[in-house]
Amino acid sequence: MNKKIKASAAIVAALALSLGAFAANTASAATTVKIAYQGPLTGPEAQTGTDSIRGVKLAIKIYNATNPAVKVEIFEGDDQGDDAQGGTVGAGIAADDAVIGVLTAYSGPTIAALPSYKAKGIAIVSPSATRASLTDPTSKDYGNPVFHRIVSNDDLQGPALARVATNGVKDPTVFVVDDQSSYSVGLTKAVKLALGTAFQAGDSAAKGAVSDFSATIAKIKKEKANVVIYTGYYADGAKFLKQLRDKGYKGVYAAGDGVLNSQFPKLAGKKQSEGARLTAPTVPLEVASPKITAMFKKDFKADPGVYTTEAFDATNIFLQGIKAGKTTRADMLAYLNSASFSYKNTAGITIKFQESGDLSGSGLMNQFVVKGGTIKLNGKA
Amino acid sequence: MDFSVLTDQFASLTFDGIALGFIYVLIALGYTMVYGVLRLINFANSEVFMLGSFATILVATKLFNHTIESDPLTGFKLVYTMTAMLVGAMIVSGVASVIIEIVAYRRLRSRTSNRLTSLISAIGVSIVLAEAVRMATSSAPMGSPRLLDKTILATVWGADIRVDTLLVIVFAIILLIVLDLFVNKSRLGMGIRAVSMDYDTSRLMGINLNKIISTTFLIGGLGTGAASFFYITVYEMTRFSIGFELGLAAFTAAVLGGIGNIRGAFAGGIALGLIEMYASAVLGTQWRSITAFVILILVLLFKPNGIFGESLQQARV
Amino acid sequence: MPFNLRDTGATLWANSNKWQRYLIAGVIIVGAFALPLLEGTFLNTPRTPFVSVLFYPIGVYVLMALGLNVVVGKSGLLDLGYVAFYAVGAYTAGILSMHTKLNTWEILPVGIALAMLSGFVLGAAVLRLRGDYLAIVTLGFGEIIRITALNSSAVGGANGISNIPNPPTTFGFTFDLESDRNYYWVVLILIIITILIIRGLSARRPGRAWESIRQDEDVAELMGVNTYKYKLWAFVFGASVGGAAGVLFASKAMFIAPNIFNYNISILILAFVVFGGMGNIWGVVFGAVLLSYIPERIRFISEARMLIFGLVLIIMMNLRPDGLLPRKKREKIGIAGGEIK
Repeated sequence: MNKKIKASAAIVAALALSLGAFAANTASAATTVKIAYQGPLTGPEAQTGTDSIRGVKLAIKIYNATNPAVKVEIFEGDDQGDDAQGGTVGAGIAADDAVIGVLTAYSGPTIAALPSYKAKGIAIVSPSATRASLTDPTSKDYGNPVFHRIVSNDDLQGPALARVATNGVKDPTVFVVDDQSSYSVGLTKAVKLALGTAFQAGDSAAKGAVSDFSATIAKIKKEKANVVIYTGYYADGAKFLKQLRDKGYKGVYAAGDGVLNSQFPKLAGKKQSEGARLTAPTVPLEVASPKITAMFKKDFKADPGVYTTEAFDATNIFLQGIKAGKTTRADMLAYLNSASFSYKNTAGITIKFQESGDLSGSGLMNQFVVKGGTIKLNGKA
Repeated sequence: MDFSVLTDQFASLTFDGIALGFIYVLIALGYTMVYGVLRLINFANSEVFMLGSFATILVATKLFNHTIESDPLTGFKLVYTMTAMLVGAMIVSGVASVIIEIVAYRRLRSRTSNRLTSLISAIGVSIVLAEAVRMATSSAPMGSPRLLDKTILATVWGADIRVDTLLVIVFAIILLIVLDLFVNKSRLGMGIRAVSMDYDTSRLMGINLNKIISTTFLIGGLGTGAASFFYITVYEMTRFSIGFELGLAAFTAAVLGGIGNIRGAFAGGIALGLIEMYASAVLGTQWRSITAFVILILVLLFKPNGIFGESLQQARV
Repeated sequence: MPFNLRDTGATLWANSNKWQRYLIAGVIIVGAFALPLLEGTFLNTPRTPFVSVLFYPIGVYVLMALGLNVVVGKSGLLDLGYVAFYAVGAYTAGILSMHTKLNTWEILPVGIALAMLSGFVLGAAVLRLRGDYLAIVTLGFGEIIRITALNSSAVGGANGISNIPNPPTTFGFTFDLESDRNYYWVVLILIIITILIIRGLSARRPGRAWESIRQDEDVAELMGVNTYKYKLWAFVFGASVGGAAGVLFASKAMFIAPNIFNYNISILILAFVVFGGMGNIWGVVFGAVLLSYIPERIRFISEARMLIFGLVLIIMMNLRPDGLLPRKKREKIGIAGGEIK
């Protein structure tokens, strides 16, 4: 009998757990709108999402603190960076009528959710989806008219990264390592194209799956490469760089925006990371605005991450629209797509969108160099 | 297929493969010890490794106030700091392992004959541990200070013999010998073997099952803790998902050698380290795990119980 | 005698005559078809549309759990790479939609056939292995399929395949972004067909063979059961269900990529089967529904929801070790190879 009671109690507990707390969802008054963030908040990719959503939260907090007529709430759509969940989460965001704009983190889940956003006419401003096909009118993934992004796409960053990496190197022999994420694959393609004959060989070490890069380094030694380009993210990039230097590699190490994180030189080691060259379509929050960085650190007791600045800016783009009275989906979308739209980002650069959703102009592309364990802005790329 | 890297860098690849293999060996011990006794895959062992790796770094940064940018230590200071890190990792992993046994396995053992039940509860424990650490660390990786300078001791045929990798190899061999002696000679070890041979009979003979099983988990956890310490010493970085990343490889190694068998874990770990290194060189790093799995399948087709067979040559029927 | 859902249900069924049984089945089926009406009630999922959740993850996962149940629950073969067949089905849909004009309903049998073929090839090679060796080999197979897709630019590599067409309008039912309900009904029909086939097989020779293999493979062999053949059958049947789920998922999601088909899905489906009650169709369905529903229901605590999911697994397994609705007592014998009391 005791067993049965326990068992039933367990079932009830499980149900209560799953069904409970169905409060919340208070009908939102017309004076509140939502900005959604769709990205990985749990699971193995959660780092990117955590870094970004803090930028979103900070921007909204600053905005709400000004006591505006229209308050803004955040809608957290956790897709775990998983393409399969992207569609469901996107549909969920689209189904909440209070959502007037969405930030999407990864290209894959963005593409999965795109049909929902297109059907409901919800504007996307992505802080980090860099896959070229999203703004390519000939591609099946073309995100027009809803998709916008404030990062340069991989096709723009590739040539810049190739240029920065080989800058000042006599007879560059380049070895390119990617991490098999879709971001990395796209960037690698563009980099190889830009390198032309300087490209010697490459290797692919799946993100997070490789602890030991010895085999890759053996290849680099065999090819006698004097430039190594890494196109993945900072954790693996740091691990790779550290092992590379420890094994006596003396040439150039260069990487893209995925590696631009204040933790990168620390993880790679002060000595090993010295002179590492990075490119990114933005500036890190620390450089862009020490004031906002201080607020960020105070709020979250942590350093800003890779796409924090972009997430902060993307949110501010929506907030700027809301301030201008664009509080419906249609108004917001029309506002972003209008020719007169412009926004001054945290670093003080004015940005506009092309029709495809990409940034207009050649896009901003900066280069950085690691000096004494910190990443220093080194001018335009 | 490009064999030029393999021929050009053979010694270097081989040495690196063996060094990586020893890390696998140490993690595989955790799987193999538990499997030998309980005949179940301890899925939560990967998270024991993850906890140990964080413990290693936290001992250095919190107890000894080193930062990630601290300079390498020398002399006595190096020895006691490293020892403290090793002991810290082993304690955390050992305790975690024992707690996992109590939470995920003990109650189920007396209540069901279904081994998959404990598999699922162990998976539940893994999810909880990984997610808890993820939330505590905000998903960020944690780097370790380099306390042991990676001095190159010798260069053999172009392969650098580094002090940290050498340390791993020497310690792993000592640990394996001690463990092998313990299981084969000591009274507790005899109990473990008895339980692994026949569960019911050993209970009948008055062996305290819970004690034996807890001991096994403790030993497995201590070994896994040591593995995480050496992993950190060599690779100097961890994150919440590290358990899954290495656990799968270590588990493959254990099966390749013959799970439940300490010598099998040794053979499997080294073999896997070398296979991964050679496959990466010849086919590209993206094919390394596929190659490992294909070789595993082929080995099992011809030797269905792994290279060395299951524990005590007692193939289950 | 305290109330016991499984026994009460089983008794009710056993004591009913033919017409009463039709009635019971009819009520259950109509009830299942009417589930989308619950949208907006306390069952509603925050942040994801309820009816869409009914299709994916719930419907698709229930279908896969039923398929895996034949392999793990009925025949006692521990398969940790079930996601491979799901991937084969989905990629069949993706590749065929890229190169041919076939619609979803025409692709479905092809996807099922290819999944069965891969199940046959894998099974023929590895089914002589037992217990945990089979587990690791199937796990490896799942990874091999995923990484091969990742490494093959012909199927899009890491970017996967996008713009897979939705199914055409059929019998007046449209299949587009807004028609979650119709997708749910299609997956429900497949679930019902699968249940009918499994019930049919269970009562006949294959079912008895699987049962004997699960209880003791050696005795089964000795008694003249061609264990290898029936194990292979179980494997191929399970694969076909996984393939069907894959095709359906791809045609609804319109986009697939290798990272969808990771090893966690295999583990998740296995958790459904064990959580619900291995071998018992209703237990498995219940387990899959509950476990795929909970993470969606608790999305409002997004940060901690996987943690809670893990806790639910631990607590429930400890309280109900044989699952929520276990199979009948007389059948309760450990999975082949190495049971522990």
